Amino acid sequence: MDARRPLGSLDLTRRGFLRGVGAVGATAALASCARPAGARTTEIVFFQSKPEVIGYFDDLIQRFHEAQSRVRVRHDATSNLAGSFVRETPPDLGLLNYNFEISRYVERGALSDLGDMPEAARIRPDLLPLVEVTATYPGRTSVIPYSLMAAAVLYNRTIFAEHGLTPPTTWDEFLAVCDTLQAAGVTPVYSTFRDPWTIAQGHFDYAVGGMLDTTEFFTDLKAQGDDVGPDSPVAFQQQFREPVERMQQIVAYTNPDAASRGYGDGNLAFASGAAAMYLQGPWALTEIAKTNPDLDVGAFPLPVTDDPADRKVRVNVDLSLWIPEGSTKKEAAREFLSFLMQPEVIDTYNADNLGFGVTTDAPPVTHPTLVELREYYDRAAFYLGASQLVPQSIPLQNYAQSLASGADPLPVLRTLDADWARLAFRS
Amino acid sequence: MTQQTLVTTTPGQVPVRRRRPFARGGGEDRPNRAATTALVVCSVAVFLPLYATLSMAFKTTAQAVDGRVFALPSPLSIEGFVEAWRLTNFPRGFAISVFVTVVTVVGTVALSALAAYAIARNWDHKLFRWSFFYLLAAMFLPFPVLALSQVKLTGMVGLANPVGVALLHIMFQLSFSVLLFTAFIRSLPEELEESARLDGASTWGVFRRVVFPMMAPMSATVAIFAFLASWNDFMMPSLITADSTLQTLPVLQSVFQSQFSSNYNVAFASYLMAMAPAILVYLFTQRWVMAGVTQGAIK
Repeated sequence: MDARRPLGSLDLTRRGFLRGVGAVGATAALASCARPAGARTTEIVFFQSKPEVIGYFDDLIQRFHEAQSRVRVRHDATSNLAGSFVRETPPDLGLLNYNFEISRYVERGALSDLGDMPEAARIRPDLLPLVEVTATYPGRTSVIPYSLMAAAVLYNRTIFAEHGLTPPTTWDEFLAVCDTLQAAGVTPVYSTFRDPWTIAQGHFDYAVGGMLDTTEFFTDLKAQGDDVGPDSPVAFQQQFREPVERMQQIVAYTNPDAASRGYGDGNLAFASGAAAMYLQGPWALTEIAKTNPDLDVGAFPLPVTDDPADRKVRVNVDLSLWIPEGSTKKEAAREFLSFLMQPEVIDTYNADNLGFGVTTDAPPVTHPTLVELREYYDRAAFYLGASQLVPQSIPLQNYAQSLASGADPLPVLRTLDADWARLAFRS
Repeated sequence: MTQQTLVTTTPGQVPVRRRRPFARGGGEDRPNRAATTALVVCSVAVFLPLYATLSMAFKTTAQAVDGRVFALPSPLSIEGFVEAWRLTNFPRGFAISVFVTVVTVVGTVALSALAAYAIARNWDHKLFRWSFFYLLAAMFLPFPVLALSQVKLTGMVGLANPVGVALLHIMFQLSFSVLLFTAFIRSLPEELEESARLDGASTWGVFRRVVFPMMAPMSATVAIFAFLASWNDFMMPSLITADSTLQTLPVLQSVFQSQFSSNYNVAFASYLMAMAPAILVYLFTQRWVMAGVTQGAIK
């Protein structure tokens, strides 16, 4: 009898399990029936995974549904992009960060040509080199930029005013500002070296982009193939050496505990006025506002040369639209794309999310911090961050981290050259 | 010689010998400081993260980013839970996760118990012995290696959904579970099965009425391992499931983690809601888990 008792109870739980399985299965089946099944409606999958704007795009989809009845949009924020392409069921429309993940699809021709759409013609022409240096496919407009972010040095206007400082326009002025602040007992720059990406996008990219034309450098570098080394005309160890040495000069002005501080700590410290400057993009503004919404933050491009006219801001294509070749509902996807590109939709998005407009008809940015960067963007004084142009298989962020913690630049840049040459040789 | 051995094993002498080390240690009721310290460290290692999760979940966004993880939430806020509930579509994600996990647990226990019984009782046959090694070999195949081919295959046969995820979970749990069950079955006396056969039970009858009930502690162990593997898995559902509305909780929760923003209170509220079932299941079944683990270990 004793041996039978557990059998009986197991049997019961198993039945309970099966009942549960049945119930969940039925729910799933019902859920799939609930989708609209009209003969003339097409359902498209819209892939957009920037977490902070998921709700925003859900509202937009709602508005789109109210405006017409031909196309239904399903918002996908969690699928695995590589998986969906491998399965040959890619999303019908994507709105993603334009980076190396997308560049793989662009270069292999997995994204369809959008060049014939009137929306493509509205894009500012001076942005095209930025798109092309990341990835291109011959004869195609694979992506349409949607939002652009301009990053520069964020500074605490109150601290600057207290010490009678104005944003520096040359490298020497920058060093003088740092010295003044340090003499007054204020940490000039807050750094978060524990998170390598913060060094790569901040100190490293600002120093390199402030001195070099990154688009030109990487175009030349690619043209050189795998012949990258001490004797080639273009190499990291040649052109990057001086910027990297300047970057190490900035490190001298950061908080002493930078090595153990992460991005979250940096936002908190800058928000509470622990430092005068912070080398982060506009994405940090939202995080800073979580702690101190009233902080008066300004922005200026890091001057790395002695010519004030050389100052440039670092930009990246934050979001871009694309329609895969593998989509079977390209027409419907284009309809939603046109809706998203309507001036009032795209401009509202960029104004709400600290982006810069990418279309020729976009209104100028009005955000109190970003307005300081407007003139640079308007006259196309911008560059793509070098860290964004190096494929992720090269651990550039970690190299930047070792540079920030005082490594000798030359060996690090030599390694970078060797990595680049190996990668170029393989592909 | 025989007399000497007899003398050393007399009942009177054995306790004396055993007592000596205790006496040297300074009495039986003296606390063992080393062990206590080790236990305190272990409990702190478990309770501190749990406490952090709990207190973070009830903080406001502003307090969650202030860098003081262990501070008590003030004011107490449930905005994290509300936001997490909305962003993950919690009831649906939870139902899908439960479905995948239940199918995995039931399937793993049933399949591996059957396989292990067949293998353990037919160990002399080459076919069964080699099928055991074949199943074990799967332990050395990590999912990431097979990921792309699995994505492609499941897509082709219409299994790019939670059912496919559950099937793959069963498959990946099978080898370890068969190993546990086989070891356990070998410790069961075969005489019990023989007597059941004498009473007229078929092979299936023997398994269902005698062997499977006796394996209950090991079934609980296998079930718990399958539960944890399936409930917490991220990569497989993320790659296999094509329809984002049928995604499991761990994947849905990935929206809270991004490079540029941190919503700790929302994230932790969501983790807490997802963690609760695992903790509850463990609280109620740990007796069997411990029993199963030790029994398996002795064997």
